[in-house]
This record gives sequence, structure tokens and C-alpha cells, in this order.
Amino acid sequence: MPSAELVGYSNLALYSAMAVFTVSMLIFAAYLAALGPVAAERGSKRRSRELVAAGNASVGSASAGSASARTPADAPPPADAVQAEGVPASDPPVGEPSARARKTGNIALYLAWLGTLLLVASVVMRGLAVMRPPWGNMFEFATAGAAAASLAYCLLARRRHWEWLGLFVIGPILLTLGLAMFAFYTEAAELMPALKSVWLVIHVVVAILAVAVFTIGFSMGIVYLVKRRREEHPPARRNFVETLPPAASLERAAYGLNMVGFILWTFTLVAGAIWAQKAWSAYWTWDPKEVWTFVIWVVYAAYMHARATAGWEPRKATWIALAGYVCVLLNFTVVNLLFTGLHSYSGLK
Amino acid sequence: MATQTPPRTPVTQPRLGPVGWARWAWRSLTSMRTALFLLLLLSIAAVPGSIFPQRSIDAAKVADFIASNLTTGPWLDRLGFFEVYSSVWFSAIYLLLVISLVGCIVPRSRMHWHTLRAKPPRAPRNLSRLDQHVELSYAGDVDSARAAAAEALRGRRFRVVSHDDESVSAESGYLRETGNLVFHTGLCVVIIGVAVGHLFGWRGDVILTEGDTFSSTLSSYDSFLPGAMTDPEKLPPFAIDLRSMNATFEDQVGGAQFGAPRSFTADVTTTEQPGGPSTQSEISPNHPVTLDGADVFLLGNGYAPVVTVRDASGAVLYQQATPFLAQDNVYTSVGAIKVGAARPTALAFSGFFLPTAEPTYANGPTSIFPDDRNPELALSVWEGDLFPANRPQSVYTLDTTNLTQLTKADGTPLLIRLQPGQTFQLPDGRGSISFDKVDRFAGLSARVDPGKELTLVAAIATILGLMASLLVRRRRIFVRVRPTDDPSRTLVTIGGLARTSDPGLGAVLAGLRTELSKGR
Repeated sequence: MPSAELVGYSNLALYSAMAVFTVSMLIFAAYLAALGPVAAERGSKRRSRELVAAGNASVGSASAGSASARTPADAPPPADAVQAEGVPASDPPVGEPSARARKTGNIALYLAWLGTLLLVASVVMRGLAVMRPPWGNMFEFATAGAAAASLAYCLLARRRHWEWLGLFVIGPILLTLGLAMFAFYTEAAELMPALKSVWLVIHVVVAILAVAVFTIGFSMGIVYLVKRRREEHPPARRNFVETLPPAASLERAAYGLNMVGFILWTFTLVAGAIWAQKAWSAYWTWDPKEVWTFVIWVVYAAYMHARATAGWEPRKATWIALAGYVCVLLNFTVVNLLFTGLHSYSGLK
Repeated sequence: MATQTPPRTPVTQPRLGPVGWARWAWRSLTSMRTALFLLLLLSIAAVPGSIFPQRSIDAAKVADFIASNLTTGPWLDRLGFFEVYSSVWFSAIYLLLVISLVGCIVPRSRMHWHTLRAKPPRAPRNLSRLDQHVELSYAGDVDSARAAAAEALRGRRFRVVSHDDESVSAESGYLRETGNLVFHTGLCVVIIGVAVGHLFGWRGDVILTEGDTFSSTLSSYDSFLPGAMTDPEKLPPFAIDLRSMNATFEDQVGGAQFGAPRSFTADVTTTEQPGGPSTQSEISPNHPVTLDGADVFLLGNGYAPVVTVRDASGAVLYQQATPFLAQDNVYTSVGAIKVGAARPTALAFSGFFLPTAEPTYANGPTSIFPDDRNPELALSVWEGDLFPANRPQSVYTLDTTNLTQLTKADGTPLLIRLQPGQTFQLPDGRGSISFDKVDRFAGLSARVDPGKELTLVAAIATILGLMASLLVRRRRIFVRVRPTDDPSRTLVTIGGLARTSDPGLGAVLAGLRTELSKGR
């Protein structure tokens, strides 16, 4: 019998997280507005004082190419020790945000951290209340996935100064939490027998991480497409997009995220097959959830190939990655709610 | 319009012979562009299998679908939409992909083999032309600087070679291409493993009621699905005695979770070989038992009410636990009791078993909770020819073509409601039916898949290969050493060349610079 008191606190923490995320999202939006050239000019007097620090910031986001092998932000930046010649500089300097804009971005990120901690606390308390891994139904999966996504974003944003991405990550997270609370809510209870396995931890945790990383990669992909378009057709009125890192660097960041997501997703697929062998007697039966897991894997595999093919421009490849994420969303919503199969764990009737 | 058209000279194209065409086809098939197209096609082709019911999963559902979609159903059937994953078009796509894969793996393996044995190339003359480079002044002569640079690169797991006295060439990241090849080869092996499982594996399902014993032979399975190469005469001869089947359901929490299953456990006594020692064990979801190479899973359960049918003189015509199949989450179950021994004509009962009956029957016979809190049988009675023309039929339903239903005096169908311990006297001296007690049954599935270990090993290799191919960076680093005016110092230039986008290269060069600047 789950502890009603803990469930209450868990839900309270979830509501609080939603409130904090809402404020954080609004301030992230204000940050983007403050990044705009008009606002930046107004703050340009103050900016000169901050140039040294801002220079460091641009190096941080310039090395955002991939998720592996990077220098920690506090290490001396290698750029000043290495002269890049003969090739176009990989990342021309980003327009430095004004001091006020950076302050706004910092506040928004601190609030995102606060919301994330509340959300993680909510997930932990739910787990303690039912004494099992807290991702046994759709509500719990959505909450845990949102927690993983916001945690991943906060960690990355602190290291790489991705405050400008906040609106596009915290927004979807807030939407997910709203759906979880008001459409998918399921009473705290014990697990059904098929889920009582150590693979619930291995398979589902990796799936949650994969979805979290894909989510940030998706947002990054969209920002890249917008930025790329405005680089090709410079608009008459400049806005915050012009102050974002160059499109090529955004594309590399999106690729890095999707690549990590793809590795995690491959692991999810294999771990799921091993669990299916234990639970359903066959490692692959083309159950709807298996079909869609496979479809997502194939679409992201196509993305990896498209990006490795010389003839394909990164923009087209990015569209494939976005299609892959749409499949992730369908897999979670339509497949859970409308298709009948062995993965009937939504907890909804 | 134009009055003068210049005479057209046909473009001379090389004529392709059959070999030429074959080469062209092979080149096109194995190109990355085609692979990409096939991948996208595969993802789209897999989707219908999740939308339409599949015969391999639920044949009855397919029949229902066709019956309720009379125009589209048969066409979808003809086009293979109910067997997507064995359809011609799906198979064609993945077989083309496999060919494309092999056509990619073979030449790249050959190339990689040569690369692995080759030495890093000579250092370019002007290192400042490379992607990135650093310079430093080394405290030592030219030879010691060269040795120190080579040592530092070896320490970073580079393959190092000196083609002359003033340069060092180093390369690392061979694992990237190795991983890539392992990944793609692993995928092919996964497909081989799946094929082995399909050809040599088998699956047998059986419904076993409490107290019954099952011996694994071909005829004793309720359904048996052999692979194309399975020898059904050589099944492992294990036996399973179901001592009890236990199930618990949620009754503490309300809402959608009320009545959700919480545990299923089959207590069994097993013997691997006839006459061998017997073992007591439990089978539950996620915990199969392995008997003589076959894995036995608990995949279903339900109720088997024990029913006795007697004739007018009280002689027992039928007495056994009769499985009723659950139709929903609250175990509203359907089944049939066929009494062929009844005279003058055979008797049959069909209807519902309700573990917790809703007493008013306002919506017909329904159960309101999956556990047996208020069990009840609701049966209609039939007589006549049970097996018309000896057509095959399910044990859970009646073929009523040659049966007539018994009615009450007012002409309405006779409905019998029985609780455990109760007996109903059938009209006109046909005898009686008693509901003695409720047993449970276990749906067991024995399965042998000789390809699964191969598939597992290949899948793990695939993950490792994928990680290597995406996370390892292929780098070349060249060092040139040059004497300066000061004989105790040497000018060292280090240049780096990345094969793909490589944000970490700068850090490696900076690290080398720091290490060599310190001197010894």
C-alpha cells in the first residue's frame, strides 16, 4: 500500500516545479528579447566592461560541436594557444549579450535548476511512496522523462552557455508535465507482474535518457533551421536570432546530441529485446511498441547516414532527425493510447 | 520557328554490356544514397504492421478485421498488410539493405585492412597549412626533441613513425573504422541469428489446470509452431505438474489501478527426463524455468470451474475442470462444456464464468473484479449433434449448426446460474449439472530458440561498434623539429589533421605543447 502522505508531497513538488518552470520560461523569453540588437545597443556602454568574460562565453559555445572530448569550461581555452589558419575559422565570434541580458539569462537558468530539483524530488518521493522504480506507467514515464530532459539541459546550459535554448526546452517540458498531470495521471500503486524485473531499471532508464537527449537535439535542430534560413536570407529587421551562434555550430551541437541519443536508443532497443525474451518468451514479436522503437531507430540511422553522405547538406539531414523525433512523440502518445499490444502499461483505462 | 537547325550530332555514349550493367546496378545498390533511401523506406514499410492486426500475433483479430471491412479487407490481405514482416515488399526492402550493407562492408574491410598495416604518411613540409598547429621552443637538441615528441604521442596512444630525422608522423583513431565495420557486420549477424531461430526453433503452448500434469510431446501441446527445419519428434521430454496457480489483484488503490494484476505465480513440480529427479519451482512473469534446453514461460492464466454432469439416474457423464478463457481485465470468461456421453442426444453448455459476478445482470453476465470473490457460472443449454461433419472446432465454443437450445416453458432461452456447491436439475429427465469448485489454469509456453545467443552476442557487438565508430576520432598529428641559433633549444612545430569535425583536436595539440614545453 503506497504512502498517501508521500504521494501528496510528490504531487505538490510536481505542481511547484511547474510553477517555477513557468516563471523560468517567461524569463528565458525575456532573455531572448534582451539579446535582440536594439536591446543590445542600449546596453553597449555597459558591455565594454564585460568583454573579457563574454569572450570566454563565446569560446564555450563555439566548442559545442559534439558531446565527447571537450575541454571543461574552467580550463584555459585552447583557442588562444592554437592558431587556426588556412581554413575558415570554425566559429566566428558570437555577438556578446549585454550585461543585463546575461543577468536575465542567469536568473532564468537558476530558476530552471530550481524547477529541475523540485521535479527530481517529486520523482524520488513517488518512488519512495510505492517502493519501486517510479516509471511504471505513462504519467510516471512522462514525469521522469521531463526530469531527465530538464536536468540534461541545465547541465549542458551551464557548461556551454545555452541560455538562449532555454525557452525551447523548458517550454516543451512544461507542456509534457501539464499533459502528465491532467491527462495521464495514474494513482500511485504497485507494478503489474510483467514489469517486476531489473530490466525496468536498465531498459526504461536508458529510454528516458535517450528521449531527454533527443528532445534537446530536436529543439537545437529547429533553432539551427531558423538560424540557417536567416543566414541565407538576411532579414531587414535583425532580432535575437542574429546573436545566436552560427548555424554550422548549432548544427554540430544538434548532431552531437542526436548521436548520443542514437547510441542510447540502440541500447534501449537491445535491452528491450533481452527483457522481452525473459518476459514474453521471444526477443522480438513485432509488437506495436517494438515496431515504433525500430522505426525510430531506423529514422535516426538514416539521419546519421545522411549526415555522413557528402552529397547531402546538413539541412536536409536535420529534417530527417526532426522526423525521428516526431516518431518518438507518436511512440509515446498514439502507440500507448490507441494501439493494443504487449506494452500496455499506460495505467489508463 | 528557326529555319535552320544545326544538324544534330548524337552524343557518343559508351555502350554498356551485361557486365557493365551489372556493375552499374551493383554500384547504385551499394551507394550511400541508395542505403539511405532504403532505410527511410524500411521505416515507412514497418508502420502498417503496428496499425493493422497481424496474423502472426492474433489471427482471430485479422479474421474479425476482414469480416468487418468487406471491401478493403481482402485487398489489404492480398497486399500482405496482415503479414507485413513476412510480406514480399518488406522482405525485398530489407534484403536489398542487407546486400547494400555487404557491398559496403566488403570493400571497406579490405581498405581498412590495408590502412591498419600501413604506416602514418610522411609529414608535410609546411605544418602551418594544416587545420590547426602549435609551435614551441623545446629545451634540448633536435634528436631529443624528436624523441620526446614521439614519446608524448605514444603516450596518447598514437601510432608513431619517423620517416626522417626532423619529423614525426602519428595517427590514431583506427578504432573508428573498426567500430563502423563491427557495427554493420553485427547487424548482418543479428539477421542470421533471427533466421536460425526461425528455422530451427519451435514454440508450444499448453493450458494446464491445477493438479494436472503435462508431458512434453508433440500431441500434448494445444498449439505447436515448429520452424521450417525443426524435428518435432525430438522434443525435450520434460514434464510439468501444476500444483497451484496463484494470482493477486489490486484492491487497495482506486481509479484505473483497481483490479490491476499484482502477481501471477505457478507452483510447479518439474522433471527434465522421464523417471528423473523432480524439482519444485515457481514460474512467474519474467521468471521462466529452463527444462532440458526449453524455456517454459507463464504467459496466461484464468479460471477452470470444476463441473459435474449426471444423467437422470445420477451416473456421472462428465466431471472435470473446464478452462474458460478471460475476455477482459476483470476475467469475464467464456467457455463450453461438451457432454458427448449424454443419451439419447449429446448435451452441451456454453456461456460465461464470472469470478466476481455483478449480481443483477443488468448489462448481461459480467464480472466486476478479476479475483474469485463471488464466482458464478451463467450457462445456456444445447442438445443435438456436437460435431457436425466432424469439422474442427475450438474447445471453448460450440458449433451450434446442428444444436437446439433448451427453452423455458414460456419459450425464452433457459439460462442457468450456478454458484460453487449448487446443482441445477435439467428439464424433462435430462439429468443435472453441478458447479463443484473453482480451479485456476496456467497458460504455459515452451520455447526453444537456438539463434538467440548468436543474436545477443551480435547485438552487443553492434552497440560497442557503434560507440567506437561515433565517439572515437580519427586524427593525424605531424611534428617537425628545427634547430635554432641556440644549440640547447629546438623549434618544434606540431600540426593536426582531423578527418571529421573534431573540436577536441585543439585540446590535444595544446596538451602536447604544454607537455613538451615543460622539457624534462
